[in-house]
Amino acid sequence: MHPLEQLRDDALAQIASAADERVLESVRVRFLGRSGSLSEWSDKMKSLPKEEKPTVGKLLNEVRIAITAAIEERLESFRAEKESAAVANIDLSLPGTPHERGALHPLTQMLDRSIAVFRRMGFALAEGPDIETEWHCFDALNTPSDHPARNEQDTFYLPDGRLLRTHTSTVQIRAMESAPPPIRVIAPGAAYRRDEIDATHTTQFHQIEGLYVDENVSVADLKGTLEFFLRELFGAETAVRFRPHYFPFTEPSFEIDVKSSALKGGEQWVEVCGCGMVHPAVFEAVNQSRRDNAYDPEKWTGFAFGLGMDRLAMILFDIPDIRLFAQNDLRFLRQFA
Amino acid sequence: MKFSVNWLREFVELPPSIDALAELLTMSGVEIEGIQKRGADFDKVVVAQIMDSKPHPNADRLTVCVVDDGTGTKRQIVCGAKNYRVGDKVPLALPGAELTGGLKIRASKLRGVESEGMLCSAKELGVAEDAAGLLILSPEAKIGTPIRDLFPLDTILDVEITPNRGDLLSHFGLAREIAALTNKRFVGQALRLPSKAAGDAPALQKKGIKISALRECPFYSARRIENVKIGPSPDWLRAKIESIGIRSINNVVDVSNFVMLELGQPTHAFDADKLRGEINVRLAHEAEEFLALDGKTYELTRENLVIADGERTVGIAGVMGGEESGVTDSTKNVLLESAYFLPASIRRTARDLNLPSDASYRFERGVDPQMILAASRRAAALICKVAGATSAATIGVAGELPPDPPDVSLRYEGLDQLVGIHIQPTTADTILTRFGLSKSRSDSTPQSHWKIPSHRRDLQREVDLIEEIIRAHGIEKIPSADRSRFTPLSEADRNFDFETKLRRDLIAIALTEARTSSLIARSELAKATGAIELRNPLSEDHVALRTSLIAGLLGAVARNIRAGAERIALFEIGNTFSPPTGEQQRKLAIALCGQAASVKDWRSAKKRQLDFFDLKGALNVLGTFEFRRSKQSGFVLMAEIFYKTDRIGYGGQLSATTSIGANAPVLIAEIDLKRIAQAKEYTQTFKEMDRYPEVTRDVAMFVGLQVTHAEILASIASANEPLLEKVELFDLFMENDGQKKPDMKKSLAYSLTYRDKNRTLTSEEVSAVHARIRERLRNEIGAELRE
Repeated sequence: MHPLEQLRDDALAQIASAADERVLESVRVRFLGRSGSLSEWSDKMKSLPKEEKPTVGKLLNEVRIAITAAIEERLESFRAEKESAAVANIDLSLPGTPHERGALHPLTQMLDRSIAVFRRMGFALAEGPDIETEWHCFDALNTPSDHPARNEQDTFYLPDGRLLRTHTSTVQIRAMESAPPPIRVIAPGAAYRRDEIDATHTTQFHQIEGLYVDENVSVADLKGTLEFFLRELFGAETAVRFRPHYFPFTEPSFEIDVKSSALKGGEQWVEVCGCGMVHPAVFEAVNQSRRDNAYDPEKWTGFAFGLGMDRLAMILFDIPDIRLFAQNDLRFLRQFA
Repeated sequence: MKFSVNWLREFVELPPSIDALAELLTMSGVEIEGIQKRGADFDKVVVAQIMDSKPHPNADRLTVCVVDDGTGTKRQIVCGAKNYRVGDKVPLALPGAELTGGLKIRASKLRGVESEGMLCSAKELGVAEDAAGLLILSPEAKIGTPIRDLFPLDTILDVEITPNRGDLLSHFGLAREIAALTNKRFVGQALRLPSKAAGDAPALQKKGIKISALRECPFYSARRIENVKIGPSPDWLRAKIESIGIRSINNVVDVSNFVMLELGQPTHAFDADKLRGEINVRLAHEAEEFLALDGKTYELTRENLVIADGERTVGIAGVMGGEESGVTDSTKNVLLESAYFLPASIRRTARDLNLPSDASYRFERGVDPQMILAASRRAAALICKVAGATSAATIGVAGELPPDPPDVSLRYEGLDQLVGIHIQPTTADTILTRFGLSKSRSDSTPQSHWKIPSHRRDLQREVDLIEEIIRAHGIEKIPSADRSRFTPLSEADRNFDFETKLRRDLIAIALTEARTSSLIARSELAKATGAIELRNPLSEDHVALRTSLIAGLLGAVARNIRAGAERIALFEIGNTFSPPTGEQQRKLAIALCGQAASVKDWRSAKKRQLDFFDLKGALNVLGTFEFRRSKQSGFVLMAEIFYKTDRIGYGGQLSATTSIGANAPVLIAEIDLKRIAQAKEYTQTFKEMDRYPEVTRDVAMFVGLQVTHAEILASIASANEPLLEKVELFDLFMENDGQKKPDMKKSLAYSLTYRDKNRTLTSEEVSAVHARIRERLRNEIGAELRE
């Protein structure tokens, strides 16, 4: 056996028996260091006869590679052991790092969900002011002074005779005043009623108003639109029924009830929406205000609807008291994060 | 309005079950809001007469009665009520009876006195809500009669009648509607026949009545009924009106109410002997005072229609009669009014006087002109029957009945278009005919003209007829259609999208959204200069339109402090209303208070309170703002917030926040969103990513307390070094030796990043630039540089 081979075997044995990285490092220095055994052999090479040089040189190189590889391998196994040791006793049931989170108000979430469905159906958004004229809130909506449905008792008035809109139907008028037909809009917004506050009544609530005016819009279109919306919201299995009703500004008028086993209190019809075909008198009022005949009731028909967001959120999220929305208690708001 | 199913059944055959009836009505637009079983269907409850009553020996509140139950033996009953007299007839529950709520009656001793049964109240029998005392039966009730004969089983429907359907505010009217919907025979029609045809003897005479306000009262009738014996109503009459929730007063008043519930026409009975001269229907004098039947005095105006006699006002027309001219126990002769009043006039009066009544409710929705004299006839006949009276040979009338409503035409093509499916003209015609319309004229098929019955004044145009057809035909027969269409983005869409993104950005940095009322409390008014106040607030909590979101948000902060929240971080996006016009503005407000972290972290025990820089950091979500120190009462620290050159809001730390219970700083900011929304258009474009490495060097310095971070940044920037990419503050501390000295310093440390986008920088050139910047800091702001 060549002494270099002996040297290699010694080195490999020492590497294999090195107890830790420190011992391994001393082994490395001993064999591969600047004044280590292999360096000595390199020096010896110079004094070797010419014919031996290639063989020993080759052998020297092989030994160096073998030792280097063995050290590398041993080092890798030390690192692996260290890594394993570092995580061996970790308690996986410890809590993860906490992150602060915010939450959208449940009414915002209700509005967002609803608006998203209507936008998929090609409704654009529209806006109107909370402070309104009596004309926009009542007269233009076919509810003239002394009409039994014109309930001044339930309306907040400002000193100058204007009022806080009692419904977002005012935006129907605003939208038609500002653009000719066809028109296809929804208007989310606040409305106000002079109501004693209790678990189901509040002075300020949130609605989405909808209006579609075009040629040949029919009750069938109204049904299709709102049935689609309600099934998107409450689930495909939801039963939807239209019930004739009365609103001064639509004729015919309907209320819509839904029933779904997915909702708490399951097999009861729940009223969710008022709607109807735009009353020709509303078109006539708009024409008067526009000073044209853009909304000729002989040519255009339309449907309109109003959805109570507070009520829908209460149904969908099983919220028992409408007052919770205005209290903004974080323990409430966080539930909907 | 409440309806008795038994009463309806007198006029029409009803569907087989109450549920089917409720379903039929609800699905045709007459919503049933409640169903209640009524009637005294009890065994062992009989009519008894109280023969004697003595105080209970051991209890002040009780009496001991002796009653006759019709079997011949007298029974002793202990009773807690006080509203009876000896001789009254009352319901007696015998031992073994079981009353509402499972109450079982046994013979027992009450405070030591034997009681063989119980005398009952109306509530205990479930025949009325009134629980005050015993139910006193009429003197005609026969002793021993089972109580169920007096109060037969019935179902009471609570029905929502929409304002356009005044014709449904009576049993007659609702039964007629049911008959039309079910195509059954309506058997009430005889009650509505013209007087002559109905065999009503008295002739109409234009005498004794003057109408001075013909617009408000087109027609008035008054019928004299003589020799009236005022007394309690017979049990059947009383049971009927009480089942609808109307209190029994006396036989004449009860008949008037009965006729209103039956036929829908309100009538009013005057004591004829208290009237002087002829009836005059006129407008009230300005500021005229009037004592009404409810015992209150009302101040009238020239807007109010009244009934007067030769001397004074005796009634507010269609609303309420007068105290002085009403029927009393001593009334001998009655003048019975039945009239048509202008709906708008009655509505205005009832509203202005805040005096809604069952009568005004019907008049303001429009009564059926063809029912006016029929109701008078019906009431007179009943008064004669129950009060032993005789009716006069003539009826005084004045004015003319309102004409029938004008004809309405129907285009069958228009019907199909609005409904969305084809409906056979014959189907449409059949439906309209069932509702009492008659075809007055028919031009070929495309169009027909319809005569509208007098009770359906709501049918004014084609769409009204179409609604009737849909209602009866069944909305469920109309298919659902898909009518979506392309719609371009609107201005409102853009605003909504901007706010939606903003909301999501804010919750991503752990703020929670609040929504507070647009109306603020009176206690907030002092802080909201010029806020527009409501003319008619309902409570002190909501009296004016907010000019800022802050008050509402602080209310939410206070509530959460009370609820024990450790970290309160709220925002609201909403409208404010600036005085004097109430111009609507879109604002964002943020409120912070408490700990920076709400959840305990087991690896870092560091606790820190939210402070001004958390507020500033939150606003960074919107953009980069300048905070200019300012002063305002209520703030310990206050800054005006600028976006470019525009002041867009303010923010800071409030002072004296212990008032809302805070024991940590309360930070608030409010920003006008309009300016930001305009700036936030989609203008980002791609920038190439850096290919050559950056080199960072730190600089740490001591400066005087008055030197600001902004000044240091400005000084660095003014060097105009093209290789300098960014400057970040990474450390700040004050010298802290426990006392403030004039020459106190603070230490700041910055990390400066250098880069050239076309090559790798050498250490030497970075060192040169960095040295220049250090020199500038030393010279310009007197920084004492640390090595």
